[in-house]
Formats: sequence, C-alpha cells, structure tokens
Amino acid sequence: METKVMASFFSSALNEKIKSFIGRYETKRSSILPVLHAVQDENDWISQEAVQALESEHGLSVVDVNEVLSFYTMYRKNPPKPYRLEVCGSISCWLHGADKTIAAAKAHIAEGEKNGNPVPFECHKVECLGVCGYAPVALVNKDRHLNVTPELAIKLISEYSKKELPAAAKKCASDLAARSAHQ
Amino acid sequence: MPVMNSPYNGRQPNEFKILTELEGVPNSRSLEVYKKYGGYAALEKVLKGGMSPDDVINLVKASGLRGRGGAGFPTGMKWGFVPKAPGEKYLITNFDEGEPGTYKDRYIAELNAHMLIEGKLIGAYAIGASKSYIYLRGEFYDEIAWCEKAIKEAYDAGYLGDNVMGTGFKHHMDVYIGAGAYICGEETGLISSLEGKKGQPKLKPPFPAVKGYLNKPTIVNNVETLAAVPWIIRNGPEAYKKFGTEKSAGTKLFNISGPVVRPGCYELPLGYPLKRFIYEDCGGLIGGKKLKAVIPGGASAPVLTADEIENITMDYEAFASAGTMLGSGAVIVIPEDVSMVHVLENLMHFFKDESCGQCTPCREGTGWLLKMSRDIVNGDGVPGDAEKIADVAGKMMGRTICTFSDAAAGPARSIPQKFAHEFVEFYKTKKNAVQAHG
Repeated sequence: METKVMASFFSSALNEKIKSFIGRYETKRSSILPVLHAVQDENDWISQEAVQALESEHGLSVVDVNEVLSFYTMYRKNPPKPYRLEVCGSISCWLHGADKTIAAAKAHIAEGEKNGNPVPFECHKVECLGVCGYAPVALVNKDRHLNVTPELAIKLISEYSKKELPAAAKKCASDLAARSAHQ
Repeated sequence: MPVMNSPYNGRQPNEFKILTELEGVPNSRSLEVYKKYGGYAALEKVLKGGMSPDDVINLVKASGLRGRGGAGFPTGMKWGFVPKAPGEKYLITNFDEGEPGTYKDRYIAELNAHMLIEGKLIGAYAIGASKSYIYLRGEFYDEIAWCEKAIKEAYDAGYLGDNVMGTGFKHHMDVYIGAGAYICGEETGLISSLEGKKGQPKLKPPFPAVKGYLNKPTIVNNVETLAAVPWIIRNGPEAYKKFGTEKSAGTKLFNISGPVVRPGCYELPLGYPLKRFIYEDCGGLIGGKKLKAVIPGGASAPVLTADEIENITMDYEAFASAGTMLGSGAVIVIPEDVSMVHVLENLMHFFKDESCGQCTPCREGTGWLLKMSRDIVNGDGVPGDAEKIADVAGKMMGRTICTFSDAAAGPARSIPQKFAHEFVEFYKTKKNAVQAHG
C-alpha cells in the first residue's frame, strides 16, 4: 500500500533551517523569533498558513507564534512589494530632513503608479535604526544606506528597480498566483 | 566641575583609546589584528594566571566601571549579585541598540567584535556562566554578521567551547536576533524576547541576577561595558581610573547626532566638557548655526538648554545634578531654527510607537502625549496645553513595571517647562487664530 505523503508548506531547505533553530536554544519556544525570520527570508512575509504549518509540521504553538508575530514590527503579516525603503524618522534623522526623504520617496512611488509605470517599491517611516550620526538612515530590504537625501532615495528606488527581483519577492509572487488560481 | 583624574587639557580625543584602539587599523575586525593588539591576553591572564572568579569581580569593582547602556550601575557589583551556588547561569549582551541618537555599540562591532567576546568570556567566568548570548536588534544585518564571524573564529581558535584555552573552563556563545522592538533593550524585556515571547518587561524584584532567563541567574550587560573589560584586566583598575572622574571612571563612547560638522562616535574620558565636545571636537553646528538645546543622553534624557550646557561636563553625576542623564552617551544637538514643539511631537511619536502596552499609564499616557503635542503642532492647541502635557507626563513616572514610561516622561516634562514660550507661539497659529476672529 502506498502511504500518502503530505507536501510540506515549506521548502526542504527551510524545513532544515527551522529544525536547526528548534534544536539550537534551551527551549523550543526560544526558536520562534529566528524561525519567523527564516520563514520571512524565504517567503517575503509570514502568512497564517505558514503559522498553521509551523504548528502542524514543527509543533510550534499557533498561539505562541502569533504572540511573537503580532508584537514585533519587523515581521510582515501581509504580502509586501519586492523592495521596502524604510526611512528612519526618529529625532536625529528627522533633524536632518527624514520627513522630506519619506515624502519624496512616497511621491515618486505614487507617480509611478499613476503613470502606469509602477516601481516595485513601498516606503515606510520607521523608528531609530541606530546609525544616527549619518542621518537620514534608511534600509532597502537588508541593505543599509546613509545620508539618504530625497535625491538619493529616488536614485536608490531607480537603481534597485532595474535589478533582478530578490528570490523572496519572486517566491511571494508565485505563491500568491498559485493561491488565486486555487480560489 | 568634577576633578578630572587625568587632565584632558590640550589632549586630543585620539589620546583616550581604550575601546577605539583599532580605529583606522586595516582589517581591524580580524582575530589576527585583535591578537596583535593584545587580544585574548586578558582572558589568558584570568584563566591561566590563577585569578578566581571573585578576583575578577573585585578587580572590575575596583576599576569603577559602570554600565554603559544607560543606567550606569557598577558592573562588578552587578556580577557580585549572582548566587555562588552551582547551576545554570547566563550572561547576555544587550546589543539591542535603539535609543534614538545611539550608535556606539555597533561601532565596537564595526571595529572588532572580539573585544566584546573576550569581555563576555571574562564576565562569564566571573559569574560562573557556561552559556551566553549576544542579543542584537534585527535591523543590524552587518553587525549580526560581524558578531557571528567573530564567534566562529573564537570557536576555531579554542577561545570558546567545552575546554576554553585548554583550561577546563566551558563556555558557549550564540547570537539571538530581535525583530524590531525598542523595549527589548530593557533587560527584562530582552529576557522575555530571548525566551521567545513578546518583549514585555518583568517586575523586579526578583532581579535577573537571581531569576532571569528561564528563571535562572542572568546578567545582562551592554556591549560597551563588556568590551572595556579586557583592557581593564590587562592594564589594571588603577590605569582605568586614570581616565574620567572620581565617581565616573574610565572612558565612554559619545555618539553625536544632529547638524554638527563632524558627527561620529568619539571615545572620551568621562567628565569631558560637553561644550568643548560639540564645538571643538565635532566642529560646532553646520553653517555656524546657533545652538538651541541638547539632549545629552539619548531620546529618554531630559533636554538641556544652550545656557545649561555652558559649564556642564559629561559624566553620570554632572548630568544627574542638572536633572538629566548621561544615558547611552548619545548627544543630540538641536539648532536654533528647529521648533521644540516639533521636537516634542517627534519624540512622543517614538515613545507611543515603542510602548509595549503592558502598563496602563505608559500605554495610554504615551498616546495622549503624542495626541496633545500633535494637536499643538497642528494649531489646535490652547493655552494651558503645555502644562497639561507636563502634568500627564508627571503622572506616568514611577507607576509602571519598567522605566520606559519615565523615559517618555523625561522630554515631555522638560520641553514644555524649558520652552514654554515656543508653545505660546503655536497657540496663536492657524485654527485658533481663525476661530478667534470668527
């Protein structure tokens, strides 16, 4: 008789990563933060399906995982755009015109949408990124940029937009396409 | 003015190098370079030189080293609180650097994370911990990589593992990555986070030294604190005390932000004059602008006016007696053309965003402080609002599990009190003016 093997929600590489985090700390619960980082690194966000799968496949409680997921701001609970420009708006960056950088980036992104030439970007104001002497500080996904003037923000958006999309963004798009085909 | 143990007069900042010795050295982050500059000699002295854990604690106590994360608690004394009984104990490094204005701990990792690892090993030996963590904020991608690399190098070189340097001392180290929560810089919030929970602080007592991570004795130390330990062991407490003042011994990393000509991270002896730091070392304000105010120790520190910094020195006591704090050594410079009402609104946005929501005075208070300051900025303020903000802030102090609420109240009390005239100008603007004239 053939045994039916349920396909895992996660890739085999990600499953290995999750298992290694689960065994790495004193308690299984401590693995939740690193596991969620790993899921997000591969899928670009953390869906409730992923949370369910962490319980059914890896025994991490949905309640415990959602406690962490909802508390920490770095976890994305909705599918994001491929690139996130996160500009620090806290005091030191604000003193160096972070508000202007954010406004310029948002206007640039909105303009692209309006002209039917959208850029794969979203822009958020975030709190202190911890490099206050080189304000305004911003992240594009995991890359840090310093002294991000409005001009530099627009330049960064253009430069990243020309690059091949990150693997996680591609995975996110194909997951969403598969999901809507299912519905 | 405090009595400086070693006169700074005429000396340049590059003459005070304990933590920043590797500044400008090529390939400074490598183990090889670190060893060339005396790296791991302190660990060897401790483990192979016959020093007992108590010897280490007493030596650090004698050096006068105080916690560099903000609270300024004597480090040796903190280590001494850990029960001597056998059992699991933990040493955690607080690398959740996120106090607005602060970027010093990351600078240490940028220079060489082995300083931190060696300091941690010595601290772990002193308290009897066989496991330690470096808790880094999630946004510090480079810093995480530098720490991971240094830990791996330390394992490969035999400084970490079951038999450190062949002495039988066992110590394992790992990084733990946060996910965007300022409150995890509070030591019990950090412990909650490391346990895989919301980063909500815990009521003290019991203090972590007795009951911390997984209810085991735990010491949480700041990066800069631990990184200073190897130098102190190598050179002795008296050499360390030559820097700084009687009660604030040693050097400190001062990180300056805001519109100054030469921003950056400067290592200076405690007790260094703030005005000299801003105008001579950092080149003053960009474009020769006039100084309006200084937040001397990160966003949580009450603000000082330009007049108040005239003769103040940068040490724990001098800032405390001026009603503010040294905090993380984050000096934020505010020029004349920036409105303090806007500064207040910006700071309150930070505290509202970062309150963990556990205690009512903080969760509700930070929301109201933001709303009230935003109303004033938007021209909806009425006379008396500044006083109301200071009053609400006063009622948030000393009523919560951790000191976050007090930190939010610091600027919310000091700004309306010291810059009341700027609020009056806002009451006259926009909506109020329109309404007044029908």
